[in-house]
Amino acid sequence: MTLHDTLTAATATASDGPDAITVEIVASAFRSVVDETFIALMKSAYSTNIKERHDHSTAICDRAGRLIVQAEMSLPIHLASMTGLMQAVLTRYAPEDIREGDIFVANDPHVAGGTHLPDINYAAPIFVDGRLLGFVCNIAHHADIGGMVPGSMAGGMSEIYQEGLRIPVVRLFRAGELQQDILDLLLLNARIPQERRGDHFAQIAACRLGLRRVGEIAERYGAALIEQVWDSLLTRTHARMRAAIAGLPDGVYRFEDVMDDDGCGTSDIPIRLEITVTGDRAVFDLRGSAPQVKGNINLTRNAAKAAVAYALRTLLDPEIANNEGILDCCELLTEPGSIVDCIAPAPVAQRLNTSQRLVDVIIGALAPALPDAAVGASNGANTTAVFSGIDPRNGRPYLYLETLGGGAGGRSDRDGKDGVQVHITNTSNLPIEAIETEYPLRVVSYGFVEDSGGAGRYRGGAGLRRVIAPVEHDCTFNGAGERFAHAPWGIFGGTEGRPGRFVLTGPEGETVLVAKPSAVPLRRDQAVIVETPGSGGYGTPAERSAGAVAEDALSGKYTAAFLDRNYPAQRRG
Amino acid sequence: MAETWTIGVDVGGTFTDLCAIESASGRIALNKVSSTPANPAEAIIAGLDALAEKAGFDLGDVRAIGHGTTVATNALIQRTGAKVAMVTTRNFRDLVEIGRQIRPKMYDLKADFPPPLAPRHLRFEVDERIGADGAVVEPLDMASVDAVIESLRAEQVEAVAIAFLFAYLNPAHEQAVKARLVAALPGVAVSASSDVMPEFREYERSSTTLLNAYLQPAFAQYMHTLQAEVATRSPKSSLGVNQSSGGLMSVGTAREFPIRTAMSGPAAGANGAIHTAMQSGVANVITFDVGGTSADVALIRNRSIGLAFDRDVADFPVRMPMVDINTVGAGGGSLAWFDRDGLMKVGPASAGARPGPACYGRGGDQATVTDANVVLGRLSTSGLLGGDMSLDVEASFRVVGRVAGQLGCTVETAARGILDVMAANMVRAIRAISVERGHDPRDFVLMPFGGAGPLHAEACARALGIAQILVPLSPGILCAQGLLVAGRSESLVRSQRIALTPAAGPTLEALAEEMRREADQWFEAEAIPANERSATLVADMRYISQNYELQIPVTGALTDLETLRQSFFEAHARAYGFFNADDPVEVMALRLTPQGARPEIGSPPGRATASRVPQPKSRRPVWFSGSQALDTPVYDRDDLAAGTELTGPAVIDQFDSTLLLFPGDLVRVDGARNILITRGETEL
Repeated sequence: MTLHDTLTAATATASDGPDAITVEIVASAFRSVVDETFIALMKSAYSTNIKERHDHSTAICDRAGRLIVQAEMSLPIHLASMTGLMQAVLTRYAPEDIREGDIFVANDPHVAGGTHLPDINYAAPIFVDGRLLGFVCNIAHHADIGGMVPGSMAGGMSEIYQEGLRIPVVRLFRAGELQQDILDLLLLNARIPQERRGDHFAQIAACRLGLRRVGEIAERYGAALIEQVWDSLLTRTHARMRAAIAGLPDGVYRFEDVMDDDGCGTSDIPIRLEITVTGDRAVFDLRGSAPQVKGNINLTRNAAKAAVAYALRTLLDPEIANNEGILDCCELLTEPGSIVDCIAPAPVAQRLNTSQRLVDVIIGALAPALPDAAVGASNGANTTAVFSGIDPRNGRPYLYLETLGGGAGGRSDRDGKDGVQVHITNTSNLPIEAIETEYPLRVVSYGFVEDSGGAGRYRGGAGLRRVIAPVEHDCTFNGAGERFAHAPWGIFGGTEGRPGRFVLTGPEGETVLVAKPSAVPLRRDQAVIVETPGSGGYGTPAERSAGAVAEDALSGKYTAAFLDRNYPAQRRG
Repeated sequence: MAETWTIGVDVGGTFTDLCAIESASGRIALNKVSSTPANPAEAIIAGLDALAEKAGFDLGDVRAIGHGTTVATNALIQRTGAKVAMVTTRNFRDLVEIGRQIRPKMYDLKADFPPPLAPRHLRFEVDERIGADGAVVEPLDMASVDAVIESLRAEQVEAVAIAFLFAYLNPAHEQAVKARLVAALPGVAVSASSDVMPEFREYERSSTTLLNAYLQPAFAQYMHTLQAEVATRSPKSSLGVNQSSGGLMSVGTAREFPIRTAMSGPAAGANGAIHTAMQSGVANVITFDVGGTSADVALIRNRSIGLAFDRDVADFPVRMPMVDINTVGAGGGSLAWFDRDGLMKVGPASAGARPGPACYGRGGDQATVTDANVVLGRLSTSGLLGGDMSLDVEASFRVVGRVAGQLGCTVETAARGILDVMAANMVRAIRAISVERGHDPRDFVLMPFGGAGPLHAEACARALGIAQILVPLSPGILCAQGLLVAGRSESLVRSQRIALTPAAGPTLEALAEEMRREADQWFEAEAIPANERSATLVADMRYISQNYELQIPVTGALTDLETLRQSFFEAHARAYGFFNADDPVEVMALRLTPQGARPEIGSPPGRATASRVPQPKSRRPVWFSGSQALDTPVYDRDDLAAGTELTGPAVIDQFDSTLLLFPGDLVRVDGARNILITRGETEL
């Protein structure tokens, strides 16, 4: 950035409220609060999803429900749910009806701003001198929220009622008083309730911790200054994002991709995008996309917005703060009742696969304008594997859910990363030693899938293969995969990556399962092979250096046949 | 003549610091020489010889040498370690490359964690498998080991890491492979995960073991030279290497486990801080060590520092007991800059040593924290290091003036803004190790050290509500001093999942007893006299469904499970604000830390001319919080005798640091000549 740019930025905002130093110092205090509550929630929670895989987020919103600050490690998909919950709370309750000590809970995608049922949103109002200042929020993915199948995430469901307990906005605490009947209702509807109780307590404690910390900041700076700082933050972020959009050439950018299937009979589901850039505005028109489907891969409009916000930040300004200032820049045109703006009772549990695809589509559309930032299509999925049954060691039910990474697309200056979570999610794997200690399962192998990253000047990243077998008992397997049929595409001449698959293996040999297998019985002498998709390459294979091709051979990530086919000149040379 | 000298040697990337003390007189001698990265022992030996000559003592009179080192850490950062291979359980060679399948930055498509130090073609698999209960699922196939040995030989690797699943529960396969490799490949360093870090979580254990193997060959050479040269010069001296958890280990242990020195230097600083706190009768301290590019902060409670077990070293995860130090990119050279939204930031980018701050006159043209201090008159214009290096004051005004122009304020307001933003960054780092661990910083004394620490203490203390600041006698060499007062220690661990039911008592006791026997062997091997031995026992505990453990000190008998459970509840409430009395609790590991007593050293004598009513050596205008600079007296620290009391505003200069007293601050120089500042009320 040139000196002139900084001068312009500073003077453009200097007259709006507190100075650049005060805003930075006070904002730093709030960043501390959301990071602290994020870690407290992670360390004290019981759900594997939270404690080990960090599928949770913390934030602070203002009195109008606008997102002010989100923990650094928060997930992009949670950005929209938090503001969605706030809108639901503020619609449902008049300001005078919200009291100190209240804690609101919700999860429903259709009436309470959520994006799928296992994500339970918490919000606790912040009062300073008896006046509502804003809300401390957190969101966590519980390992189960009831419904047809353990884990509440598998395919095959056609209505949200089958996916688990729908929680509209309810008050779990009224003026500091726990509503035991509501907690009982929440727990009775989840599998393994004692674990869920631990998660709820961790979320409640994180709310209270956040309230205490914001109270300390308010004591020091006062509510009036805090509100000015919050306004200034949003204004500044908004202006910064608008300026970044203005850097895109005006024009219309189009892209289209096709989802595999919904697990309920609908296949080849198109997502069509037309972005119109005019000055500092970009309008994302998704109205050409498919109608909502019977299976659970539908997005609520909120979730679609989260994907747009993620893509804008990633492509244009990765260092920008996450707050309402970005969401305000996401102008969406959607058709209610479509796959990107579904209406009740559409099921949504596997919405993340569609979010990932929407990000690929946005990157595909803007690639001509942003060749340095764009990447080949990534594994485009959130491959989910769920094993459940009765643990023969103690007779108790167990449930093991994991989402696996895959290939990340080739980049303008280097290869794509192998075996990693991409885009809208960044959850860790569970250590093998934790899986086998906690569950009656054995991880038979874990590694990269050969030949799965597409060829190119910079190759795509490889998918992951994980093989899991039950130990001394029979159990049930559920799964959800995407890009099992429609491969991740390459970009600027890069070739496509290999799709993923689920395979049942045993004495009878191997059986390839569908992409969204539901309640597959798994005998003690069988195992499930999970192979996640690779990703597309960047640039034509002819442009790849001979050294890089030799490295591909040496690493064993590619077969000789693949390399000979894609890089004939380099192999000969 | 008796051996009366103790020497601390702290090897950094650029300089090797030496600090010696004579036990009877308290006489101190210092030396600083350039480091010799090719073989760091050379600089140490040259430094020792020069130090002894300068101070006029015989190296034969040295009784103990404590050694801190950043050699291992630098080798990791600069990737100058060995050609290293890895041997894993069949089907798991990719594990160390997959890691936790996450990316370091959610929104940055170009940011990756580094690839493993052993590339894929040097990661080999053998047929074996241990299960979650420690039982053998698939026996070790020695034919597969021999095939790997052939490949290792063909590749001419210099080091090998062995990491098998569940080796922390049952090390038999790893140890058998290690024995076979050692026999077949003489001269190749071999590290097994069950030796390096016998704890749960395969990726972190594998990563730690791989780093250890990578460091072993060069580190062994360095230790070998050091030991031989010291033995020639100081035959009666002990030689200990400071480890990341704070105590000294033998040279033999360091040679086996170089990764244990990853936090050697900062751990020495923490030890120096504990020594200072003990001298001054203070139990609870938050330290902050401010250098040129970063600040290290740590929390000392009841004269001991907490340990952390997971940390990134050169972007690789390391699981080890390490002093719980938080590092933030805030130092004297940190740059002030404006983000795209107009907010002013300070650091983590730094002007470093070259070009350095604008006032160094080496071509730096951006405002740094040091320039802000110069503008406010807080740093002496005659310069640093006792006047050896003068400062270009006008350059500081020029660069900070440009920041002021962008903000539309005076140059002094801009300078204060830079320091306030820097303080906010340090405060976040301090909160992370205090408030976020359930400790109220207001119950602690702030101890700044490092060259730039004392200049920024007040701003941090104010933001955290801390009332008192303790400045050590020599803030710039606290790390080397910490090595003079380090005792020996060892970290033993048994990682095993044990539910806290009545049946657990005997199991826990048996594990503890095993470790006590190992501790006795260690005491004997280290020749620690019986009256100097002690050991602390800690249980890593959690609720059965959780994944993060709290370290609970075991004070009573291990069979008293109720007390243990109650201690866990209290710790859980302190850390997370709640506990569930009905939920089942489990122990994940027992840790025993045997240690030798800390050596006693006297206080150095003061300057003969020092006085309890010192006269300022000069006066200069200094900007504090008000709208005017104050005419402020400047004292030389060597002129301040024990018992001196002063009231701020004042500046106290010393060779390696500058100390700032705000208006209303009360200062007392104590018996050890550390300075205790009680902050004035006006700043809150």
